[in-house]
Amino acid sequence: MKKAIAGVVIVALLCIAGANSLVSAQDVTLTLWVYDDGRLEVLTQLGEAFEEEYGVAVSVEVVDLSEIRTSMTLGAASGEGPDMIIIPHDNLGPLVENGSAAVIDLGDNAENFLPNAIDGFTYNGELYGLPLAVENIGFFRNTDLVPEAPATWAEVAEICQALYDEGKVDSAIGFPDLTYNIYPLYTSFGGYIFGRDDTGNFTVDDFGLNNEGMVQGLTWVKSLVDAGVVSENVDWEASHVMFETGRSAFIMTGPWAVNRFETAGVPYAISAFPAAEEGGEPGYPFLGVQGLVINATKENVLLSQVFAVDFLATEENYQAIFDAEPRPSAWASIFNAAEDPNTAGFNAAGVGAVPMPSIPAMGYVWDAWVDAGSLVLQDELSPQEALDGAVNQVLEQLELDE
Amino acid sequence: MKTANIKLSLFNYALNLGVMGVILIAILRVILLLYADGLYPLASVLSAIAVFLAIIYLRRRFTPVRWFGIGIALALLFTLYPILYTFYLSTTNMKSGHLMTKQQAINQLEDQTYLVEGDQSYGWTAFVNPGGEYALWLMPDEGAGLLAFPGEPLEEVPPGEKGVGELDEDRIPISLEGYERLPQNKTVAIIAQLGEINFGEDPNIVRIRSLREAAPLKQKYQYDSDLDAVVDLETGEIYRPIDGTFTSTEGAELAPGYIVFAGVKNFDSFLGNPGFREPLFQILLWNISFAFWSVALSFALGLVVTLLFEGLPGSRIIRALLIIPWPIPVLISILIWRSMLDPDVGFVAPVLESIFGSSPAWFQDKNWTRIGVIMVNVWLSYPYFYVISAGAIRSIPHEIYDAAVVDGAGPWNKFYHISLPLLLRILMPLLIASFTFNFNNFNVIYIFNFGKPAMPNTVVPMGHTDILISFVYRLAFITTNVTNYGLAAAITVMLFLLIAIMVVFQARFTNLFREVD
Repeated sequence: MKKAIAGVVIVALLCIAGANSLVSAQDVTLTLWVYDDGRLEVLTQLGEAFEEEYGVAVSVEVVDLSEIRTSMTLGAASGEGPDMIIIPHDNLGPLVENGSAAVIDLGDNAENFLPNAIDGFTYNGELYGLPLAVENIGFFRNTDLVPEAPATWAEVAEICQALYDEGKVDSAIGFPDLTYNIYPLYTSFGGYIFGRDDTGNFTVDDFGLNNEGMVQGLTWVKSLVDAGVVSENVDWEASHVMFETGRSAFIMTGPWAVNRFETAGVPYAISAFPAAEEGGEPGYPFLGVQGLVINATKENVLLSQVFAVDFLATEENYQAIFDAEPRPSAWASIFNAAEDPNTAGFNAAGVGAVPMPSIPAMGYVWDAWVDAGSLVLQDELSPQEALDGAVNQVLEQLELDE
Repeated sequence: MKTANIKLSLFNYALNLGVMGVILIAILRVILLLYADGLYPLASVLSAIAVFLAIIYLRRRFTPVRWFGIGIALALLFTLYPILYTFYLSTTNMKSGHLMTKQQAINQLEDQTYLVEGDQSYGWTAFVNPGGEYALWLMPDEGAGLLAFPGEPLEEVPPGEKGVGELDEDRIPISLEGYERLPQNKTVAIIAQLGEINFGEDPNIVRIRSLREAAPLKQKYQYDSDLDAVVDLETGEIYRPIDGTFTSTEGAELAPGYIVFAGVKNFDSFLGNPGFREPLFQILLWNISFAFWSVALSFALGLVVTLLFEGLPGSRIIRALLIIPWPIPVLISILIWRSMLDPDVGFVAPVLESIFGSSPAWFQDKNWTRIGVIMVNVWLSYPYFYVISAGAIRSIPHEIYDAAVVDGAGPWNKFYHISLPLLLRILMPLLIASFTFNFNNFNVIYIFNFGKPAMPNTVVPMGHTDILISFVYRLAFITTNVTNYGLAAAITVMLFLLIAIMVVFQARFTNLFREVD
């Protein structure tokens, strides 16, 4: 009797569990994960327009960038995660290396985009993302203290010294960091991180982190700190506070800081970066590109491509996205039509901007580079020694990974 | 009487089965989901747990084990399994680019297609018959359209033959007998199904590539199980598996790679590297002294506060104020401290400068950063020691103090010879636990100054206030682009062994696990 009951119950249980696990065929819905909520509304509206036209719903969700990264890499094995994501392009490398980004063919439409935006999402010679927007940092100055934009870094140093001597500033330039936010300083002297190989990919074989231009850039910073004109405290938050309270005359930062400067009421202007010498090439910043990447491990790749390439990539939709959140568009004609002085300033500063390398080695560069800067300011090492050390650290970590 | 007993036990048995049944359904469902996701280790552990639970709750023989059955199951799942899994990971090459099994990697590679140079692609229009079968009308850039059915050769069919109707202005037939023409926007929702279909006859297969394009796509890679190698069907190149990557003889690698057993390689690349040893030793020393001073100073401060405010008028209000650091989230407190100490915008620097003429570099100088981080940690944890020592000190019988006073002991002697030894005896396990906690106190270290300032000339970036766990974190997870799980697991295993040794030592030292006699 007992055995009979047990038998019946167990068979019943197995049936329930089995039936439960059968996945019923459902209507297709595309999922799109975005990492900031600025474009959530406009993308949701565009998704509704897509559904109206093609009968496929698009669900747009805001998901933390690290979560996106994890589900696109670790989740790639089991095919979980969203159908499409919007990410900054420097996250692309690992996605391609894990086989989770699908190639996008824009055809003739590619001509409508900024070439360096396309460049940002190109990896091993293939395009893996639909660029949506670009961003780069600009050279901010307090127009009360510095009415005219200086043309060379030597000039900047003179102005800093003069303002400090007059007691008008506490720390003449705010350094949010000694890496990303002052990269134009390095590039104006000829510094760079990675050169490119024949296929246009960034490569570790041409590693510029300790080249002469990088050393000169760091030396310039060190000389201002030694003169006492600039605080040795390199801190993102503090440097912004110093600028918005008028205690710094210059800062190099991005569009994200504009709102707080406006709120603080500090008079500012954004201009192109100074050059190393009179008549030299101005420094250029890193270009950040945000774009839509299709998850190659999902069954909806073709459908996602229809959404991205055939539906989304039109001037009208890009204008709608730009109107919803005015970040410089990757659509060339919209980018060039931007008129307000801030955008014009950022665009001037971004001339010649090079996409931030997205190769995995770049992940090791940041930490070593940050440390090199602070070791110089702590008087532990000279700029050359510190950057040599950073190069060794990056190579050592690549070695550890082998 | 006897029948009633049997009925009751039958009822009990059925009830038992029912409750167990619900639990087992839940577990079984999770197992199936995990299995479908390819998480075999976790699925097998859960299966083992399910069998274990079923046996002990359904067999009368195991009745005594029932009481801790759930406890054992949870311990297996949440303590033992993660540890074993970390050990397993530490012996693999799992990292970015090597995150899937070999079969998953092969599946991904075999899904890749290519277009033969010179082969043309077509625009396409889909037709469907009531049976749900599809046909395509393929439009080359130039020339006449082709009719394509799955499994049949592509054919140029003029209008009027084989049921093909009149052509419209795009030279696409308006109708196809037995089929219904699908407008483009209707094909989008089914494009995934269409993309799976091979139109035409082998080897002239045409597949849909995008909304606008169909092309004679060919499979790019094929896995040859005899060779245990992946063959590039386009070039004939053979890629053999080397360390979890299919690699050609010239050294070209196919992405993605897969997870393979790597033996002690992860341990070796770390321990075998002389560049790590000395700085790691420095980190270990600082780690121990950080934990020691954090505990010693916060205990001392907590005790001082206890003694100062015990029995004072208004002590309840003072006590409430002193506990304030406790309920504030650690993250917030540390960030507030960070901004207070900031040399440019914080208020500590001007105050110190007006008194001493200079202010320490809290985030640049290694000694001051160490002092700063201990100071913040003490501020965060002294209320805990204040609360427990205030409680413990009241449990010391008053008669002992009375006797001491009779013997002529002053306040100092009363404290040093009575309160302190008795308190230490009561609080020692808590002090030890607190030491172990602070040994791994990642939050304070990382939020205060990210383990900085940097150490010069190290093999990988490390800082003067890095403790082992923050160093591991930096090494393994700080980079957004690279995640080396195998190496991180290996270092975690070493850290685990180190701390396990400490805990065993402490447990013996304090007789923590000795039965109360």
